Amino acid sequence: MKLHQKGFLLITICKSGGIWDQQLINKVFAEYDESGDFREKSIRITLDELAAAGLVKRTDNKLEIINGKTKLIFKYQISDFGITRMVDTGLLLP
Amino acid sequence: MSHTALVQAIHRHHARNQRWGFTWALWTAILWGAWYVPGTALWFEHPYVEITADQQSLRLAATAVMTWIHAITVFFFLLIWNLLLGKVKDYGRTIVQFKKISKWYALASLCGGPLAIFGSYMAMGFVGPVFAAISSLFYPVIGAIIARLWYKEKISQRAAIGMCIIIFGGMVIYGPSLFGEMDTSNPNAWLGYLGGLMSAIGWGSEGAVAGRAMDVSDPDVGIHCRFSFEVLFWGLIILPFLASFTDLPIKALIIDTITHGKAMLWIVLAAACHAYCYTAFYKSFSLIGVGRGEAIGNLYAVFALIFIAAFTLQLPQWYFIVGLFLTVLGSFVMFSESAESVAELRDTGDSKVYP
Repeated sequence: MKLHQKGFLLITICKSGGIWDQQLINKVFAEYDESGDFREKSIRITLDELAAAGLVKRTDNKLEIINGKTKLIFKYQISDFGITRMVDTGLLLP
Repeated sequence: MSHTALVQAIHRHHARNQRWGFTWALWTAILWGAWYVPGTALWFEHPYVEITADQQSLRLAATAVMTWIHAITVFFFLLIWNLLLGKVKDYGRTIVQFKKISKWYALASLCGGPLAIFGSYMAMGFVGPVFAAISSLFYPVIGAIIARLWYKEKISQRAAIGMCIIIFGGMVIYGPSLFGEMDTSNPNAWLGYLGGLMSAIGWGSEGAVAGRAMDVSDPDVGIHCRFSFEVLFWGLIILPFLASFTDLPIKALIIDTITHGKAMLWIVLAAACHAYCYTAFYKSFSLIGVGRGEAIGNLYAVFALIFIAAFTLQLPQWYFIVGLFLTVLGSFVMFSESAESVAELRDTGDSKVYP
């Protein structure tokens, strides 16, 4: 069975050392065979939740034109607290 | 692109999240308030209308039965929700991780279900409904304290002041009726006070306990897991225990409820309110924090009276307006916090890389 999506996002961010949300969205789409605006927004909200809870931190940001629209994109990195929580919940081995 | 445009875009981003967080919390309050109409109407239908106020144990058994059927119905409404959002597979992936993740939802369901609801009914039965309503109003304080101590949720001074004003407003709405309800000669009153404490601790701790699992899982999925466990707790442990070791008519109550159209209609309506009230509740936690989400959720006190007045045509007392003013003021005090301060909810000790 595949990992739940928020868990997959955390592991991908943790492994990357720092990753832009657009790349993360592509990885989630590939992993779960998903596509579309609605799913994309849903993943962005999940990233906002992770940042608000302090599990990931935003290390960079920029405005980029994607599909003709200016979008604010963020670069994410796992936080120390995020690592602790991943260990607590079995997403990462201690 | 200019730096100013970037700064403005970041501010808009945080402001939008803050607005969504408060909007979800407000929906919690509206639907929670609306829930009181079918929730109260159910007691006026067969088989519940025949149970008199002095039949305490039968009343509690009836509460357990209606809560279980209610939880099953909520489960189906949440299934529709997650089907529409395309999150049913994620529900499966999350609930199977019991040891590491979903056990927290199981614990949250115990806090919000048997502890809080049972406690609230004890408070209603042994002291009175007004006392029950007032004691529940204190749950955000418990929630904020647990969230603060357990995972260092930041409660700014402004958020704390807003929270206090909302609670005070709730007390003004219900407070004056409390004097008519307190009866010092009642020897069983302590059971009611204990129940009041249970409901505040139960609902207060639910958000913080669920928050622990929501750190790594989706809130829509989380609430579905929480209700799955509530269905199991009542259906596999509490009700079979009551049916086996007491002479309470559990089976008859279940059959009477599900075969009685009007009772089921109220349960379905109550469950629709409750399912989406809880969905909004859990979504608000992840955007504005447990403390703020629960405090705004406390506005249910206002909406409950408005809905009850609309359906029964009984206008609330004058002091309702004072309470209404205070609760709305408290909400605005909380909402006036800067969006950036709500964007990071916890003191995690991580050095800030990005402003």
